Amino acid sequence: MASSRILPEFELLIPQSIKEAVDLLGKLKNKASVMAGGTDVVISCTKGFGSPNVISLAEIPALDYVEYDSKSGLRIGAMATLQQVADNADVQKRYPALWKSAAINGTPQTRNMGTVVGNIMRASPSGDCICAILAIGGKVVLRGSKGKREVSIDDFYIKYRETACKSDELAVEIKIPAPAAGSCNAFARMTRTTLDLSKVNVAVRLDMSGKTVKEARVAIGAVAPTTIRLKKVEALLKGKQITDDVLQKIVETVPTEIKPIDDVRSTAEYRRDVAGIMVKRIILEALGK
Amino acid sequence: MKKRAITLTINGEEYNLNVPVHYTLLQVMRDQLNLTDVKYGCGRGECGACTVLLDVGKGGMQCKPTDKKTTYCTMSQSKRKPILACIALAATMDGKSITTVAGLAQNGDLHPVQKAFVDESAIQCGFCTPGMVLKAVSILEKNPKPSEEEIRNGLEGNICRCTGYVKIVKAVQVASKKTATGKR
Ligand SMILES: Cc1cc2nc3c(=O)[nH]c(=O)nc-3n(C[C@H](O)[C@H](O)[C@H](O)COP(=O)(O)OP(=O)(O)OC[C@H]3O[C@@H](n4cnc5c(N)ncnc54)[C@H](O)[C@@H]3O)c2cc1C
Ligand code: FES
Ligand code: FES
Repeated sequence: MASSRILPEFELLIPQSIKEAVDLLGKLKNKASVMAGGTDVVISCTKGFGSPNVISLAEIPALDYVEYDSKSGLRIGAMATLQQVADNADVQKRYPALWKSAAINGTPQTRNMGTVVGNIMRASPSGDCICAILAIGGKVVLRGSKGKREVSIDDFYIKYRETACKSDELAVEIKIPAPAAGSCNAFARMTRTTLDLSKVNVAVRLDMSGKTVKEARVAIGAVAPTTIRLKKVEALLKGKQITDDVLQKIVETVPTEIKPIDDVRSTAEYRRDVAGIMVKRIILEALGK
Repeated sequence: MKKRAITLTINGEEYNLNVPVHYTLLQVMRDQLNLTDVKYGCGRGECGACTVLLDVGKGGMQCKPTDKKTTYCTMSQSKRKPILACIALAATMDGKSITTVAGLAQNGDLHPVQKAFVDESAIQCGFCTPGMVLKAVSILEKNPKPSEEEIRNGLEGNICRCTGYVKIVKAVQVASKKTATGKR
């Protein structure tokens, strides 16, 4: 029986290099799960959904980096914790959406353990960093037995809790482009209590030219099997100035683009009711209004 | 590998252990080492009863105390990070050093946070107290003069079923004042 005090037995593998980890994954494929901070993997074990083999990244050196460069942008290593990202001055300044999605994630303890890459790879439809990065844009860097490849966050989520990462691949880092001049971003979520998971989360990136939106990316989570971009809303924003009329049109359009369900955190009806308003507010917040 | 040999430093004392790889840090501490000041609440990362402080030295290096009995206390100069023993696998903690509530007192003197919890009666049944005290220590190490809001945000993740939060927040404020003026 699954217990939260005594975990069922599993084999634990602790590779010392990325290569060793990739070799293990190539051998074990879907009979293994990768563990970064373990805030999700260990809890799955307590619920009896664990894998027979757990591959811990804890002892692979130098994976816990958060690095910003004005040309190449931000790189977040597979073992960089949510707290490291929340404490990073470049993230705070240039990627307020990502900063907030990490800074409000879980509790101080889970932020010290959980990683941003783990949040992305967990592929939960309510994952907060997923929502922020889907709006900002970025790439997941994967390493497998056949080498390295990069997958755009836009193509990463395939269906409910399924990603483009193959069972023999390891995510080594997330790359996020440097924001262009005039670009702004923001994230917000709604929860029952602060440590609960999101009932709805939203994030936007607006590339502005004066008062006109050149390009918009709008992401929303917990209202479909994966976090999604709101393409109709993005089209409404593109090339426009943000007037009350445009905002009202957006509030009305959001519910037509989402497919929320009833679950323990909220109802479909409530999610549909608040989603449009949340998108409107996050647009205004990104613009500093 | 069904067991792994690890070295773990707890409150300055070094333990050489052979731990089953599926054991949590909490299980090893409570069941193997009988260190029952670390509490089992939910086992799912939600209550904070099992909080321990991971000792982190300068530059993110883990602490390697040279003299077991005394120098671990110098770790309080750096920022110790609260983590949850119920969802940490002991086998992945090789070479790490942690502090529990039993390791806070120095030379028989309670830590200012412990003293404030006693003085302010911030304890009812006491079950959440070890986790609360350690969390409060980590808040003050990161920010010696937190506002009430910062204290409340910092205490998130530690649940008190007796709902003594008002006194707990007060105790952290009192400890903050005492440490700021250098009094113990
Ligand atoms: C109390 C509590 C509160 C939480 N609150 C939030 C919240 O507010 N918002 C939120 O979004 N989430 C929350 N979570 C969920 C979780 O903590 C986060 O998603 C966290 O970021 C996961 O990171 P991790 O490193 O612990 O992941 P792990 O548990 O190590 O892994 C998560 C998943 O990703 C896979 N994985 C991890 N790293 C890699 C890699 N490098 N390559 C391939 N696969 C990989 C694992 O196999 C697993 O499926 C919470 C969890 C708890 C216990
Ligand atoms: S026992 Fe509840 S968080 Fe660990
Ligand atoms: S004092 Fe009883 S749980 Fe906090």
